Amino acid sequence: MSLIQVEGLTVRYGRRTALDGVSFEVPDGGVYALLGRNGAGKSSLVRCLLGEQRPAAGRTMLLGREAWRERARALTEVGVVHESPDAPPAMTARQLSRFCAPLYPRWDGDGFSARLRRFGIPENVAFGKLSRGQRAQVALGLALAPEPRLLVLDDPTLGLDPVARRAVFEELIGDLADRGTTVFLTSHDLGGVEGIAGRAGILQDGRLVLDEEIETLKRRFRRVSFAPGGEAAARLAELVPVAVASRGWRVEAVVSGWDDDHPAVPPGATVEVSALTLEEIFLALVGDPQ
Amino acid sequence: MIPSLHIEPADPRPIWRQIEEGIQHLVASGAIAAGAAVPSVRDLARELQINPATVSKAYQRLTDAGVLLVKRGDGTYVADTPPELPREIRTRKLRDGAVRYAGLAVTLGVPEEEAVVFLRDAWKSLKEEGGPG
Repeated sequence: MSLIQVEGLTVRYGRRTALDGVSFEVPDGGVYALLGRNGAGKSSLVRCLLGEQRPAAGRTMLLGREAWRERARALTEVGVVHESPDAPPAMTARQLSRFCAPLYPRWDGDGFSARLRRFGIPENVAFGKLSRGQRAQVALGLALAPEPRLLVLDDPTLGLDPVARRAVFEELIGDLADRGTTVFLTSHDLGGVEGIAGRAGILQDGRLVLDEEIETLKRRFRRVSFAPGGEAAARLAELVPVAVASRGWRVEAVVSGWDDDHPAVPPGATVEVSALTLEEIFLALVGDPQ
Repeated sequence: MIPSLHIEPADPRPIWRQIEEGIQHLVASGAIAAGAAVPSVRDLARELQINPATVSKAYQRLTDAGVLLVKRGDGTYVADTPPELPREIRTRKLRDGAVRYAGLAVTLGVPEEEAVVFLRDAWKSLKEEGGPG
């Protein structure tokens, strides 16, 4: 069963279309990363997913329930970490855990304490006095304590330093190892996402321009560098280029139709072919943020 | 942590295959001894910052191939007599290394005969240091 089903989701703000007929699914046990530049529609999508916003058309299903109509019931088995997590600043982590516990059918308070101890976060310090990284860790702990079937993370490492980022991903990896929780996350940290996500979607101007297993994605994308005017240049179209740039005396293309078994342009003395990271693929598809 | 097991994001091979071939290589070269314990799926996933399912897939394939041995309730170990590195992997690794070295020589304008001499010298010095012969 798919824990998330997004069907023809459309969101408009006045005349502006923020999401335009977006559809995808996240199967049970999968880890799905939604990527996109600022303003691509990620936040609108997360709001619809959590039943906080009514779409103009289409719908989002959470664990088989429509998020907008059955928000409360759909969310009982969903853990959420918002972008820059918020909580009453005077409450300590222990108080937050006690406050949240009765709202859920299950609450693993011991697990919550153990998680904070592992990262050296005091349970008796007010949330407002914790560092950003510690707040993110508390928010993740609160999201995991009800032992959710689905975890929704909206850019959980935004604004964190590399050490705090690693701590968040470690906790996530630990949970995946323990219970195989299904995860839907948006992130700017493509390097971090690359290892843990199985599938990625890319939003651009409100449309889902890509929805694919990361493994197959990385198999079919390559950077091909060659001299202009040669045979490689003539056959480039067969490789379905998504970005072409000239670099000094050579041409560099990112292609999306590479096939290792039958390369249309065989690598050789004049043609260099190299694989790409998820981040490089993302930049080639949606352009550099600058 | 397994010594010198690295994940290269720009490697065209999927991560599980990088782990599978990496461990195979470390076992075949003796860097991890026969019978030695390897990290749990969870620990290795944390160390490499990757999905445990990915590590699990690699471990499963290594277990099927007889390289690793799962002792129930205890942990995962290198088999007492692990099979040698499959021939096609060995050939590919050697060919890749050779192409890189030859490319370097061509770039520097070093003729073939001279490049081969450097290779022999390197081989000799490795043997004198007591490395694998």
